[in-house]
Amino acid sequence: MKTLIRGGRLIDPVQGIDAVRDVLIENGFVSRVGEHLDADGARVVDAGNAIVAPGFIDMHVHLREPGQTYKETIATGTAAAAAGGFTAVACMPNTEPALDAVAIVGEIVRRAEAAGFARVYPVGAITKGRAGKELAPYHLLFDAGCVAFSDDGSTPRDARVLRNAARYAADLPCAFISHCEDPDLKGDAVMNEGAASMRLGLGGAPGLAEDVIVARDLLIAADSGKAWHIAHVSTATSLDLIRWARARGVRVTCEVTPHHLVFLDDRFDDYRADAKVNPPLRGAHDRDALRAAVLDGTIDALATDHAPHGADEKAQLLSAAPVGFSGLEIALGAYALALPELTLARYVELLAVNPARILGVPGGTLAAGSPGDVTVFADRPWTVDARLFHSKGKNTPFDGMELPRRALATIVDGAVVFEHGGVLPREAATA
Amino acid sequence: MPPRSLLDVDDLSPGEIVSVLDRAVAFRDQLPARDLLAGVPVLNLFFEASTRTATSFTLAEQRVGADVITFAPGASSLGKGETIADTALTLHGIGVRVIVVRHPESGFARRLADAFAGHVVNAGDGTHAHPTQALLDLMTLRQEFDRFEGLRVAIVGDILHSRVARSNIVGMRALGIEVTLVGPPTLLPPEFAANGVRVERDLDAVLAGVDAVMMLRIQRERIDAGLLPALDDYTRRYQLNRARLRSLRTDAVILHPGPYNRGIELTDDVLDDPRSRYVAQVRNGVFVRMAVLDLLVNGAPVAA
Repeated sequence: MKTLIRGGRLIDPVQGIDAVRDVLIENGFVSRVGEHLDADGARVVDAGNAIVAPGFIDMHVHLREPGQTYKETIATGTAAAAAGGFTAVACMPNTEPALDAVAIVGEIVRRAEAAGFARVYPVGAITKGRAGKELAPYHLLFDAGCVAFSDDGSTPRDARVLRNAARYAADLPCAFISHCEDPDLKGDAVMNEGAASMRLGLGGAPGLAEDVIVARDLLIAADSGKAWHIAHVSTATSLDLIRWARARGVRVTCEVTPHHLVFLDDRFDDYRADAKVNPPLRGAHDRDALRAAVLDGTIDALATDHAPHGADEKAQLLSAAPVGFSGLEIALGAYALALPELTLARYVELLAVNPARILGVPGGTLAAGSPGDVTVFADRPWTVDARLFHSKGKNTPFDGMELPRRALATIVDGAVVFEHGGVLPREAATA
Repeated sequence: MPPRSLLDVDDLSPGEIVSVLDRAVAFRDQLPARDLLAGVPVLNLFFEASTRTATSFTLAEQRVGADVITFAPGASSLGKGETIADTALTLHGIGVRVIVVRHPESGFARRLADAFAGHVVNAGDGTHAHPTQALLDLMTLRQEFDRFEGLRVAIVGDILHSRVARSNIVGMRALGIEVTLVGPPTLLPPEFAANGVRVERDLDAVLAGVDAVMMLRIQRERIDAGLLPALDDYTRRYQLNRARLRSLRTDAVILHPGPYNRGIELTDDVLDDPRSRYVAQVRNGVFVRMAVLDLLVNGAPVAA
């Protein structure tokens, strides 16, 4: 099977290419990159007036399966990924049960194959049941397909447990991914602590709740030598701590979400939970520091923290409503909205090159022999209508907003899984 | 236009606040005929225990002739299954036109008002707002000083958890009152110093300069939550007592939203002091609530 992506502006930072090039994929791998390649026998994707990049990888996604398939399934979540321009996602382990056993991880890999949209890289739990007590079987989980470990959604409260986990798993090529929020400092907060929470009479989580755990985890990373990744950084101080650790040789990377780059903690005047998320949306000082940190290279990756929920759940009172919202289908546009000065080469690094490197997975380039995973996108303004999402989660604070950029086509393993607004599983796409 | 609700004091313009107070004063001077809300079904929906506010609202509703229904569900009965929107639809379908609601969660009144096709009066939502309390406090102050502009008021105590303080800050600032908040940083974070409001830590330095001091209730659970040490440590700096009464001007007044804790935020000396206005406050509450119901249901009075 051959697929030719024709006439697009190829941005491939690894190869140092920013030029109009055709990309030919044969049997799932890139075979040639060049000008005016022969389309003979190939399925042609017209990328004229569009940008062609190595497939985007969202390294922070909640697929909800197993256990909460009313919120999302592997099939709907990966369809959303494809529609959003992602050829692969890393799925977080806070499913029910948690991804702490070989059988569950194997089942996820199998179901992702069957769904046939984006690739799925499972992230295993750091502790059994994400309970923060007993270590998960890291080597077994790695062999089953896990690419990283995390107790995402919470943090092991006991620093001794986390330290031992990091030391035990130190020689595995899987980063530990930290969700940094101190549960005691956070308390029953529903938003950021600040003038807005004070005025509204709502419980607020201080940035300090994140900062102290970032500091703790960076020190454990230094102590253990384990490669570490800080998820969804939301404060200026966290960024300073990461810079401090890097200057001392700690192997640390970090990501930021579209919502923390775009929104502030001023979205709760109606007491609705649409913008309730962990860590919470912060004030302008933090938001501006996050944007600057993407531009100055402190932040390595853009990741959505795609967290779909049922509409009824999000309509509950703020205290009861769950945290998070859909992110996969607004991401490309939201990043461009927040960071208009970001170069395309850096944009592709943040969405493809670096996530592949951090997770240790193939991709990040379209050099000959690389996986045939391609994202085609363009700067074409569009208006978000969450009702049209492929994700089951129709909730997002971006609903109704105009975004400047969008995915036009998504190619996974040489198969066109998304084009002209519609998704198609790999098997059907190659039939 | 959806029916008007009173969720916080800033749902009223400064002129409307004065108009409500004028109406309340008129009701106090002469009770109106019991027909202002004749036949209007008013539901008192209290998810949180209340003696003074529930009694005051009920009396106010009866004095304007409303059909009064009182229902005190457990705090958790809504939200289990039935959504706010479903509840609002049901109550409106039954015929309820006004809901007076109290709930332990901030924002509940707003969420209910957004879903309900009638009027909502917020009788206290979490730590957010308690507008009729603020209005009765303003009525009490005006009765005393006959003006708002330039008055100096100190609010003392657990500001962070006080819906009374929040609504009073909103109302007082709208009317030109100078507001000083006093309390320890755990109960009065510095973020409250906004929109012209001052934050002070030293009650003794503030007392001599104010026209009124409002003492807020201190709850023992703040000690359990690690926000306060022993109560006597708090009272040493923030209790209004015999010694501090001497700093207060003779023409100043003392307000307390109740229920007060004798021996904690204030001592018996304060309640016995001629400057205490607690009884005037609760008395004014009924007339203010009558005026609010009249305004929401019947609209502004015809200009004289």
